[in-house]
Amino acid sequence: MSPVFLAGLVAPVAVAALTALVGMAFGAGWALAVLAPGAAGIVIYHLWNLHLLARWTRASSDTAVPEGRGAWRIAFSDLYRRVRLRTAYQRDLAHTIERFTSAAEALPDGMVVLDAANRIRWANAHAQRLMGLDLARDVGQALGNLVRQPEFIRYLDTGDFIDAVVVDSHRDAGATLSIQIVPFGVEEKLLISRDITRLEAVTRMRRDFIANVSHELKTPLTVVSGFLETLQDLDLEPRQRTRFLRLMQEQAKNMQRLVDDLLTLSALESEQNALTETTFAVMPLMLELSAEAKALSGGQHTISLDVGPDGDAGATVVGARDELASAFGNLVSNAIRYTPAGGTITLGWHVGEDGSGRFSVADTGIGISVEHIPRLTERFYRIDRSRSRATGGTGLGLAIVKHVLLRHQAELDVASDPGAGSTFSVVLPAARVRRVAAANATAATVAPTSS
Amino acid sequence: MTEHTHKQFDAEMEAIRSGVLSMGGLVETQLARAIAVLDENEDHAALDQVGAVEQQINQMQMTIDQQCSQVIAKRQPAAIDLRMILTVTKIVNDLERVGDEIKKVAYKATQTRGAAPLTRMRAFDVVRAAQHAQSMLQMALDAFARLDVAAAAEVIGRDEEVDAAFQAILRQLISYMMEDPRTITSALEIVFIAKSIERIGDHAKNIAEAVVQVVKGIDVRHASAEQIRAEVAEE
Repeated sequence: MSPVFLAGLVAPVAVAALTALVGMAFGAGWALAVLAPGAAGIVIYHLWNLHLLARWTRASSDTAVPEGRGAWRIAFSDLYRRVRLRTAYQRDLAHTIERFTSAAEALPDGMVVLDAANRIRWANAHAQRLMGLDLARDVGQALGNLVRQPEFIRYLDTGDFIDAVVVDSHRDAGATLSIQIVPFGVEEKLLISRDITRLEAVTRMRRDFIANVSHELKTPLTVVSGFLETLQDLDLEPRQRTRFLRLMQEQAKNMQRLVDDLLTLSALESEQNALTETTFAVMPLMLELSAEAKALSGGQHTISLDVGPDGDAGATVVGARDELASAFGNLVSNAIRYTPAGGTITLGWHVGEDGSGRFSVADTGIGISVEHIPRLTERFYRIDRSRSRATGGTGLGLAIVKHVLLRHQAELDVASDPGAGSTFSVVLPAARVRRVAAANATAATVAPTSS
Repeated sequence: MTEHTHKQFDAEMEAIRSGVLSMGGLVETQLARAIAVLDENEDHAALDQVGAVEQQINQMQMTIDQQCSQVIAKRQPAAIDLRMILTVTKIVNDLERVGDEIKKVAYKATQTRGAAPLTRMRAFDVVRAAQHAQSMLQMALDAFARLDVAAAAEVIGRDEEVDAAFQAILRQLISYMMEDPRTITSALEIVFIAKSIERIGDHAKNIAEAVVQVVKGIDVRHASAEQIRAEVAEE
């Protein structure tokens, strides 16, 4: 017999025994007088505890189990133990769920849980952002109603989830998503979405690059092979022959330049090619560049130097001198090529307040419209194809500049006014620039020269 | 009606709603493609696709219309269900028109390819206006999916911006045409493009109005944006 039953029996047995004793001693009347309050007491005791139990079941779930007396104390304490176990179990469960949810939330990919009818059950923050969902009101909404790309709807409808589907985001123009569905559990599906915009961009760039290189090589090759054919088939006058040979040589040089630039770019890009840094003085480099510019211009432009006061002229830079010289040289040759005869090209060097160095090339050339500026450093990006090729550009110059600057943590800053000229500036970080004490610098200062 | 027929009816209604939204998705993709053509990111191959998808959009409109008439004939829907069906026929009509306008934009865009740089610069503003119309259409369809009147009211308000953009483009083009008559041909093409974009904005607004109508049961077609906002705010 259970302890509760035995404990519960104590009071009724006691009342019965007392009633029997009193009945035998004083008669039935007295016995009744004992029995009635005794029985009433027992009933009230049970009813009261029953009331406590009923009140507890209705109260909020974290209310403590009531404490009773006698048999009820045993029952209540059993109940208390059970509640405690259940609470601990639930807490564990909630904790586990929370851990899984926060793990899913922390994943770098978007996750959506779908039911059998492709309605949204849950989504992590990434998925909400990528696919424009709002979990607060979209639970139960068919996902296809909000992610409406035809490719995605077809993917959902066919139910063939072996491969992922790639869709262009409607929410974020230019973004590309890769979406994969994985069925799990009973008819449920897990959708994983990933932003592959950058990956796509790289693939596209590679494709474009190869197409561009082929095109750039093909043009001079066509010219060369055309002339070769003519030279073979026709008996030409010596003067014409020389002219054709000269044109062929020009085209061959173009190809040579392009291949050289491509090799430079790939050398700059390759990881193994570590930066060989030296500390070099800026002023000699500026003079070299200015001499180079004068040679390139052939006296058609005014070349001037603009070097900041005192310390600027004596400043030294830490970096790969060859690379920086070729990058600066590229900017200078661009300036000359895009500035009509009679224009002015100013090479500048200034050390800023914050210690950063600014190398600049300002021209009075044709200038560049705003919309082209962000794309200038793209390989083979040309604003005006005919012009660029006519001036002997490979389309890779600024791409090389960008790579060199990247290796030096420097930035390219382009300001331009169409028709009035452009200024290309290279901003070298303060860590790479040393300003020599003013005393030494004065000696190194060179007055602006002009051709 | 028994529970079974109720369930089937709900499924039919849901299918119609999803049909409208996937048609919307097709139109949205189409618009994105047209903008790419406009922005000179895409070549002529995209244009063929625009033409093919246009046929598909027309087909979807007919299918959804047919589904709607069947539901009306078979189930005699009442109240919100009837409103929903009437609204759906309106929305698919608007979507089909958007499809037509997109086709016009894409074709005209390829014609302006060879235009003078002067007028091509203005294409920048046109692309911006088109992107604005695109986001309106997206918001309107989202509002329909969620039956979200607040978002619908916002779309209605934003139509004025597209209208203003159209006016601005027009004014600029007029001044170009006056300065240099050689730009007239390409400027006129751009006017047509801008007009189509402005129409797309109008259709997006119509869709948003239909959403307000289905949820609130009031016709807001000729109300001002402020009146609609006030209506929507009332719960």
